[in-house]
Amino acid sequence: MKLSFGDEVEAFRQEFLAWLAENRPSAEEMAAEPAISSAHVPGWAGRWARRLFDAGWLVPGWPTERGGRNAGPVETLVYLEELTKAGVPRTTNPQGLGIVAPSILDYGSEEQIRDYAMPILRGEKSACLGMSEPGAGSDLASLSTRAVLDGDRIVIDGQKVWTSGANDADFCFLFCRTNPEAPKHKGISVVLVDMATPGITVRPLAEIAKPEHPDLNEVFLSEVVVPRENLVGKLNDGWAMANGSLAHERGMVWLSFVVTLEEDIAAVLAEAPAALERLAPAERAVVADGLVASAIDSAAARCLGYRGFAKLVRGGSAPEQALMKAYTSEAKRRLARRAAELGTDHTVDIGSTAASDPTWIERYFVSFGGTISAGSSEIQRNIIAEKVLGLPR
Amino acid sequence: MDLELSEEEAALRDNVRAVLASICPPAVVRAAYEGKGDPASVWARMVELDWPALAIPERHGGLGMGFVEVALVAEEIGRAVVPGPFLATVTEFAPAVQELGGDGPLAAELLGRVAAGDTTGTVALAEGGRWEPAAVVATAQPAGGGWVLQGAKDAVLDGAEAGEAVVVARAARTSGAEGLGAFVVPRADLAATPRTVIDPTLPLADLVLDGVAVPADRVLAEPGAAGVAEALDRAGQQAIVALAASTVGACRAIFERTVEYAKDRVQFGRPIGSFQALKHRMADMYLAVERATSLVWFAALAIAEDDPRRAEAASMAKAAAGECQRLVVQDGLQLHGGIGMTWENDLHFLLKRALSGDALYGNAVHHRSRLARMLGLLPQGRIEEVVA
Repeated sequence: MKLSFGDEVEAFRQEFLAWLAENRPSAEEMAAEPAISSAHVPGWAGRWARRLFDAGWLVPGWPTERGGRNAGPVETLVYLEELTKAGVPRTTNPQGLGIVAPSILDYGSEEQIRDYAMPILRGEKSACLGMSEPGAGSDLASLSTRAVLDGDRIVIDGQKVWTSGANDADFCFLFCRTNPEAPKHKGISVVLVDMATPGITVRPLAEIAKPEHPDLNEVFLSEVVVPRENLVGKLNDGWAMANGSLAHERGMVWLSFVVTLEEDIAAVLAEAPAALERLAPAERAVVADGLVASAIDSAAARCLGYRGFAKLVRGGSAPEQALMKAYTSEAKRRLARRAAELGTDHTVDIGSTAASDPTWIERYFVSFGGTISAGSSEIQRNIIAEKVLGLPR
Repeated sequence: MDLELSEEEAALRDNVRAVLASICPPAVVRAAYEGKGDPASVWARMVELDWPALAIPERHGGLGMGFVEVALVAEEIGRAVVPGPFLATVTEFAPAVQELGGDGPLAAELLGRVAAGDTTGTVALAEGGRWEPAAVVATAQPAGGGWVLQGAKDAVLDGAEAGEAVVVARAARTSGAEGLGAFVVPRADLAATPRTVIDPTLPLADLVLDGVAVPADRVLAEPGAAGVAEALDRAGQQAIVALAASTVGACRAIFERTVEYAKDRVQFGRPIGSFQALKHRMADMYLAVERATSLVWFAALAIAEDDPRRAEAASMAKAAAGECQRLVVQDGLQLHGGIGMTWENDLHFLLKRALSGDALYGNAVHHRSRLARMLGLLPQGRIEEVVA
């Protein structure tokens, strides 16, 4: 155990910080044109992606021939940490950069890499991830959107839901059923579908907080025809991508949870003393205790993350990331509620315009996105029980 | 930050675990509980293996290891519910002597004797259930070239057994961090009343200091000397984190036994561990144990590298260990069902050890209130004064 990384890693950090200072988008630039969904790439974000990619800083952990710089996991961690600290988003299309592009690079054809993966990396295209369906949420493998091969075409019929960014995305990385006879995990394939293809209807779902800026969508697909070459990887081999890409993503996803949790607790601790002044003494002790619990949560999240990360670096198992996902998302939710309650009667205040920063009660509702999506907290506990603790199914 | 055990650290832990399995199997713990055993034999073996010398500097005859190693051993001590003087001597007494006594001759003598296994020790700090040095009211008055101690001390670990005690007292008419001092008093000079506690492997005693005379050469830190409060804090952090580590060790053992039991026990034709209601509770136990372990390791590292976050990290570790034991003791016993209620099952030794570890050196509530002050959420001072 050591508190700091070695000199080489610190040199890497300094190199990135120097580049970042020269090349980062300004706070004004970002504030003037905020990204309003997880597939919306404003002008500055496209230019930023391009600068990052061209300098080898978008995906430093990848090999140089793919635009990375062969950085090790510790360097990658340092890179992500500094980027988050600087308040600059690495991308405004996280599922595109984090899941779709790497999956296409791993499984796709040369043409798919050229036409879909590279444009994501350069900030020229954005992608959504077509996974959940009305009848297939936590039980994703039950998905029933059909894709039928018909000569050199694929015909798709079905419905997706909770599709983040579908309202802004250029294309969808769509999971569909290609063999209804096979066991459910063995009849799934992935198809790339341009969102402008006839037969696609996107209906944004206004959310309980900030209904003006929907990110979740229903996507209806009716006789959608795409060329056969849009099939990614082998036919009926899609489940591996669902598993592989999500596990890959969780290897580092904990860090953004940890850093945002730390930002949240820092913000609450800054506003807390004044708010606590308004409380009666006995109330004050109770409320302060809740905030302390959140401060411990935040410190623990960082320590847990670094421990899991150290295990990963030493070749340990990935299922422990399930613990981080459940823990950090629930810690954020607890903190948002405590922060909201700190305002006593102001707990219920929300921003007066759509452009107002979200208040804590709005952030509390938003935080359920963390505990529900990408495998709910309950699913994470099943994974912990079965894959980590070895309890029988 | 690299928060996983290095190869050397893992090897140390594995070695300690193997040794303890051999010198302190459950039968030894049971014997200690039933007053039949000879806990001294466990300690004698530890002395042979140089464990008391672990973190004592080489110039005093120690092995010169760091606090991370101490915490790892403490975790295993809790896991095996080891009776005897290790925690009080190695994680309370020796750090207090070192932090308070500096390079003086008394510290050199005492550390040398601990390293050689020639004495055991403890620290008498708490009064009236309060564990922060600023709350000490016991006094030290100069008398005939030495000092006379007056007052009372609570919940001293090994207070009736330890060979020497570091007694914290203050100059008359001082308060808070001012005027604190520390004295080394042999067991024979202390009126110790052993308490009847639920876990005899963590024996406590209350001490009455009724005019205890301390010669000048047994003064570890003169009342009012510079840096005494800070040295007490630094030593206290080591005791706190070691105790937290030991509590977490017991919790992890409870958790592991519970998971194994849930895999073996069959009802309704299937292992009870296959029921989701129980799976989720065990997942939560796992989370609590991992959370506390991570904070304990971070705190140990902060102490070992003398990081400015050490005070905050120590209180977080102790609070998390306390919260962890609450959940793990409750659900661990609940999931064992009736068998966990029986004296003949070894589970209760672990339950009682985990629970007792929280109660000493400030429980979770106490450390959260310390953190509330450190984080600027509550004013400094006693809560009664704050809320008045």
